[in-house]
Amino acid sequence: MKLRILIADDHEVVRRGMCTLLQAHEGWEICGEASDGRDAVEKAKQLKPDVVILDIGMPNLNGLAATRQLTQQDPHCRIIVLTITDSDQVIREALDAGARGFVLKSDAGRDLVSAVEALSRNRMFFTPRVNDMVLAGFLDRDRNPASHAAPRLPELTPREREVIQLLAEGKSSKEVASLLNLSTKTAETHRSNIMRKLGFHSIRDLVVYAVKNNIIQVQVPTPTQSAGQGTAA
Amino acid sequence: MAVRILVVDDHPVVRHGLRTLLGANPEWEIVEEAEDGFEALDKVARLHPDVVVLDITMPRMSGLEACRQIRKLAPESEVLMVTQHDSPQMMHEALAAGARGYVVKSNAARDLLAAVEAVSQHKHFTALLNSGAELESGLNQGGK
Repeated sequence: MKLRILIADDHEVVRRGMCTLLQAHEGWEICGEASDGRDAVEKAKQLKPDVVILDIGMPNLNGLAATRQLTQQDPHCRIIVLTITDSDQVIREALDAGARGFVLKSDAGRDLVSAVEALSRNRMFFTPRVNDMVLAGFLDRDRNPASHAAPRLPELTPREREVIQLLAEGKSSKEVASLLNLSTKTAETHRSNIMRKLGFHSIRDLVVYAVKNNIIQVQVPTPTQSAGQGTAA
Repeated sequence: MAVRILVVDDHPVVRHGLRTLLGANPEWEIVEEAEDGFEALDKVARLHPDVVVLDITMPRMSGLEACRQIRKLAPESEVLMVTQHDSPQMMHEALAAGARGYVVKSNAARDLLAAVEAVSQHKHFTALLNSGAELESGLNQGGK
């Protein structure tokens, strides 16, 4: 029987690349594609894939929030997250959310097949840096258990995290309500609760929070990319 | 006539995707791939492709800088930027650097073929996410 894989990335060119890489492997098939986290959660419900590959930086519902929803829906769901960064915080959140594989986009050509193979055998797959961090975390926890007791962030419900992403992406309460199938009043209540819990007074604070906590990802060009502006050849 | 294309992106999975999309036109040939600006310059100098499909955010040398140098090195090679920056400012920087076309990665499946077709004929092609594609209707070979 074929291993059925669902892939989710907002860039079709990346989905095409993943399809090419994975379909070359005998015995695997791409059973579905999704262009954002919400779409991925819906398609996973319908298609019951063996492995789900989720980009972290997707609109509407990011890969971390989608991972949480998928593992809540099915605790045995085997998820690989694909990311452009392996910062400590992203790794921690991905593992907390229930991801069992972690692949850097820059290494996907090399690691994606190995990651799917590992998860198909009910094993985990991490980059060497993630392995080091997980090990260091365990050692640190043994040495200093108190440092792990304090919560890192205010307690937000999964729904509030979804609302934060949509607001930070510039959507109005009405648009949030429509996307999440809520009344506008309920969306506004979520918004007020979030602002109160986080102690924010403006949407700008919320956007900064969303960027800092990888709820949304913003690509900022490096200085060298702007250097020499206007020097057309 | 066959169009010879160099694909430049630091992510192999994106290069695979671009190859798959470009493969829809049997008359086009992917002559090589490169994973950063330096490698791209080396391959442009050696292969003189008709079109360079170039990412902007890459390590070592950005796509904008690579574009400037490609235009000096091989003025007959046209540059099509394929990037995740859905930004008019970045698009203007790319055009100022000498790019003939600009396509946003999330719309690459929609725009890439038309963009390569246009820039291979030395016409401008630009498309941001929430705007339709803009193709310069007249021949635009004076900029070469």
